[in-house]
Amino acid sequence: MRTKIILTALAICALTGFALEPGETELEHNGWYRYTNQSSALKLTDPTVSRFSLERGYLRFSHQWVPAFFTKMTVDIFSSDKYPEGATVRLKEAYADLSLPFVRDFNFTAGLQKHYFGLIYSWDYTHPEKELADEQGICASADYGLTVNGYLPSGLGELQLGIYNGEGYKYAGKYVNTSPEFLGNIRLTPFAGVALGFSVFTNSADAALYKNDKKGRITEAGNIFYMNADTANTSRLALAPSLKLAFGPFSILGEYLGYSYTRKFSYYQINHDTSGNIVDSTLVQKQKDYQMTGLDLVPMITLAGRKIEVFGRFSMWNRREQSGDSMSLNKDKSFVRYGAGANYHFVRREKGKPGLIFQFAWTRTQPKNSELKPTDVLLAQVRFEWSTVITKPSL
Amino acid sequence: MEVKMKKTVSILAMLSTIILGAEVIVKGSDTMLNLTQRLAEAYSNVQPDVTVSISGGGSGVGINAIINREVDIANASRRIKSKEISAARANGVDPTEIVIALDGLSVIVNNKNPIKQLTVQQIGAIYRGEITNWNQVGGPNKKIVLYGRQPNSGTFVFFREEVVKGEYSSAMRQMNGNAQIVEGVKADEGGIGYVGLGYIKNVEGIKPLAVAKKVGENYISPTDEARVRSGDYPLTRPLYQYTNGRPKGIVREFILFELSPAGQKIVEEEGFVPVTQNYIERNNSILQE
Repeated sequence: MRTKIILTALAICALTGFALEPGETELEHNGWYRYTNQSSALKLTDPTVSRFSLERGYLRFSHQWVPAFFTKMTVDIFSSDKYPEGATVRLKEAYADLSLPFVRDFNFTAGLQKHYFGLIYSWDYTHPEKELADEQGICASADYGLTVNGYLPSGLGELQLGIYNGEGYKYAGKYVNTSPEFLGNIRLTPFAGVALGFSVFTNSADAALYKNDKKGRITEAGNIFYMNADTANTSRLALAPSLKLAFGPFSILGEYLGYSYTRKFSYYQINHDTSGNIVDSTLVQKQKDYQMTGLDLVPMITLAGRKIEVFGRFSMWNRREQSGDSMSLNKDKSFVRYGAGANYHFVRREKGKPGLIFQFAWTRTQPKNSELKPTDVLLAQVRFEWSTVITKPSL
Repeated sequence: MEVKMKKTVSILAMLSTIILGAEVIVKGSDTMLNLTQRLAEAYSNVQPDVTVSISGGGSGVGINAIINREVDIANASRRIKSKEISAARANGVDPTEIVIALDGLSVIVNNKNPIKQLTVQQIGAIYRGEITNWNQVGGPNKKIVLYGRQPNSGTFVFFREEVVKGEYSSAMRQMNGNAQIVEGVKADEGGIGYVGLGYIKNVEGIKPLAVAKKVGENYISPTDEARVRSGDYPLTRPLYQYTNGRPKGIVREFILFELSPAGQKIVEEEGFVPVTQNYIERNNSILQE
């Protein structure tokens, strides 16, 4: 039913668009050329990762049909080790945006669009690495869905309400769950220098990547038919209060993350007789609770007429897993991260001008298990971004 | 004590300006470009140690520049949007509004066109593409050619909201600035355009139309300064400058000059209308120390 609603909305938007005469088209390209050096305890000459890559290769086509109707499509062509050609392409955005009648500054958006959670949708990669919720897989920065989104009067802030697939933009088709995700986000800017935000999303279950839909059995040769566990994360709930303070050249961006779900899984347990022969299998169903909390802080100072940005990064991630009646900390998967870096803007992006930035960042991630060594990541990146408006020829 | 402190701060500010030299950076509206350039030139005679750099690009570009702290003043021929205020605040910028002049946005046609007046509704229908020939509004049998601005222009936005009240016809030629619209209409007998009042002064080959709010009401010319000033002219609009917080130091001094009798005389000379009492009072409350 939900798919039908989405398809119908997309079809209406597309048909409305094609019925109109063309307006203004914009073509945009973002190219991020990155060197990554990852090592244990800063052994740069003995890295576990040392590579150059095209981290992002966005090609974006947007068209303002009329002021009230806008469409956009973005594909990302980037380096990937999943294919022998060393690169792949994926769809990042594809949506239609329609101004709501009678509600000033609000739009209805349908399609693959921004996922308005925490800082993820406005993360502009001033720090070249991903925002914590994105990196830890709480959610993706884009997803398929329908939203009502817009701006509150008098510059008070913004508000978004949405219904999404809940799997992010990398998953489609059979990987999409049957229960939709519901999202709400508000960001308030009551006065200069302060932005307060709060986001929440929930869905009853994500996609079961492994379906245990066949009964376990033994082949004639006596081999066990191996079954993957049937898994699904249910009762997903994520919260993200966020804050940005900005005074003069100083700013600090921060968010707290709370995320919980219950993983339900099943498998066939092989039963043996007293002689140890396999006689049967029994379906076993279990569940386990997970709770994650995180903190992400990015302080920054802008220098030399906005040519240089110097930033720091502090992140914390605690992953708790059910163990009997208690929720114990998984120290291997919990960590503290800190680091610093700088950006140099050769050219600031603005109308008619491309943007050219050199970015450098170092981060150290120390797992909470003190027996594990820290991981150091050094990134150096050149970002080149430009756009052009394709105007109609005057006849 | 407080007065003494204020005086000391002012003297220190003046001294630092004299010793270091100083610059006020202004960017934005093309409608206000010539006006603020003239004001800057005149100000340099009063304050030779202060350089005022003016550039255009459109109201949207100027507002974006103040949001990103790239300029001291954004010129805008439209009011700042809610979305822009929110982005500014999140960036630690407090957009503060001053009105430096009034404009009677002028609808112009070629001098050879016998049409002298139109209602706002007729102009709207023309720009929506519903009226396409001059003979539909009492003129000659000639195709109407639309000249307008680009979407980053405050004039484009103001005219769309106040006159077009819908979508511009896709046949409209989107010009870079007011001067290009004037040139286009001057060379085109079927042409119609909209420009700031400052761009029609002493220009031959075009004429402004008298405009009535609706049928049955008085047609008023944008050149009737008193009617623009009183707001009777249907397309009267304020011309804004935005600063980050209450203007201070040389930025404040420059704005005070713009609003001074000498500055407002230049406003008149450039074809615009000096600010009215209600705006003077509002400006004063922002500019008081």
